[in-house]
Amino acid sequence: MVTHAPVLAIVIPLLGAFALPLWGKLRRELRDLWAIVVGVFTLVVALVVAVKVLGGGEVWVYTLGAASPAAAVVQGGFPIRIVLEVDALSAFMGVIALLAGIVGLVYTLQFLREEEGKTLAMSLYLLLWAGILGLVYTGDLFNFFVFFEITSIAACGLIGYRTWESRPPEAAFKTMVMYTLGGLLVLLAVGILYGEYDALNIAYISSKVTGGLLDRIALGLLLGGLLMKAGAVPAHMWAPDAYGEAPPSATILLVVNTQAAIYGLSRVVFTLFGGVLATPGVGWLIAAFGVLTIVVAALMALVQKDLGRLIAFGAVSQLGYMLLGLGVGAASLMTGAGFGQVALRGGIFHMINDAATVGLLFLLVGVVQRAAGTKELSRLGGLGHVLKAEGGLFLLGSLALAGIPPLNGFASKILIYESSFHLSPILAVLAILSSILLLAVVLRAFHSVFLGPKPSVLHVERTQWGTILAMGTLALVIVVFGLFPGFFVKHLVDPAVQALWAGRADYLAAVLGG
Amino acid sequence: MSGIGSGEGFWNPIVWTLLALGVLGLAYALWLQGRRTYKRGTEQEEPFLSGERLPEEGSHIRGEHLYWGFVAGLRPLIETLRAFHTGFIGDYIGWLVVVLGVAILVVML
Repeated sequence: MVTHAPVLAIVIPLLGAFALPLWGKLRRELRDLWAIVVGVFTLVVALVVAVKVLGGGEVWVYTLGAASPAAAVVQGGFPIRIVLEVDALSAFMGVIALLAGIVGLVYTLQFLREEEGKTLAMSLYLLLWAGILGLVYTGDLFNFFVFFEITSIAACGLIGYRTWESRPPEAAFKTMVMYTLGGLLVLLAVGILYGEYDALNIAYISSKVTGGLLDRIALGLLLGGLLMKAGAVPAHMWAPDAYGEAPPSATILLVVNTQAAIYGLSRVVFTLFGGVLATPGVGWLIAAFGVLTIVVAALMALVQKDLGRLIAFGAVSQLGYMLLGLGVGAASLMTGAGFGQVALRGGIFHMINDAATVGLLFLLVGVVQRAAGTKELSRLGGLGHVLKAEGGLFLLGSLALAGIPPLNGFASKILIYESSFHLSPILAVLAILSSILLLAVVLRAFHSVFLGPKPSVLHVERTQWGTILAMGTLALVIVVFGLFPGFFVKHLVDPAVQALWAGRADYLAAVLGG
Repeated sequence: MSGIGSGEGFWNPIVWTLLALGVLGLAYALWLQGRRTYKRGTEQEEPFLSGERLPEEGSHIRGEHLYWGFVAGLRPLIETLRAFHTGFIGDYIGWLVVVLGVAILVVML
């Protein structure tokens, strides 16, 4: 099983997703048991991949369609098979997908009710999980597009499957249109590169790109499609709609889906075109979109009247910090300046921190909505009298989102602040000011929801153990990653940073040899 | 295991937490030196809101009213940003085209 771990990490949730409704037809308990089995097996095989790649420092190439998964990809100087290629960055993204996937699954199992379309939600959830793992593991450009589409379809389904309400289908439609256009841009870029080099293998194309006119057009198309899916302002507007209307159990994985687009950007900029980027323009472009995303999303969060949309704009602003870290890293790649590595470290570390923080807040939005029957801030208040633990968790998540020490958000943001200051002080200043603004935003949300007199009419259900377990796990990540960032940066983040910064030759050599 | 280097500086959350606990302890020690004229169950326990009489059933300043002045100061900027967020899918696509155009322009330079 260990030999096939990379492909099993994709296949198990993929087949599990399609089989789940069949179990549901027999008995609901069997369906839930099936989801648990699929979750546990996916966790095990993806952990095997993570331990081998992050611990062993190797690039794991898995060849599909060959007699052996270790068979040579290149024959006669040409790649002839589809590969999964897992380097430290892919493995790191796999860890994030695992954390979010398992936590979201545990929450879904107990939180969602049958009348809320539980079977459909769980099927789509597993499909999205499989798509994300495929997207970050693949070493093939066309498969990258295929998994881009799988994640898009599953995400839109998750956002809009509750057709008995008016807003989720509308949000899903908008997201679907944007994802489709983004996917077409990616497909067009893949087509251009295939036409040029007769190949779809990322490592092979990366060894051949010259930086000519067609290559640049393909790069521009990839940047456009991936920046949109990464929620970069001004192409971000689908994101608050989607996050705000999706069921809270699914939103944590939707956030990781967006992060997978940032992974795609990293792969394109540092690996696919890393050999021909002669100017820092692309890095500056990503950094500029990043800081624009941070500022605009924080300002928009300030005036939201719906708790879900408020947190959604907060989540979009966090994506801006990741883009800023990635952009500063890319801009300094040519010069090899040390602050570029620090920026990448901050941006990549912020991904896992964001998954935990924003994930926790979205799960709590679900609990609040269930308790009060609304997400409108003007109708909420006083829930702290009855939801004491949930209030504490909300405050913890809010402070982490705003980057307050000693929580995990601060540990990654300080790396981004310091490194972006080297590229341009204005980037750092805007990022810091927006963090302060976010603090005001999330404290306003906490004040609105949990403080004030006890509501006279409130039927609060006791929070179930699965929901508490899911939220408690994320809270634990927030605290432990915040108190011991050095350990996690050394063992999780730094290998991923090195894979981007100095690992392009290893990524290419793992497939092409030499 | 705890700290991380940030290039120029260093961040150690354990040291920060210990210092923060020390500051809190110091603040508590100073508080203990204060006057002990507080009486439970008297009007000293009632919230003071600019001398206004509070309603019997209690009152709560809703979150939407927090930072009113700050938001009012930023209103021109925020209204401009709100105007961009129309909710129309056609506008969303338009902004995607803008991002694509900028991206292609930058990679062509």
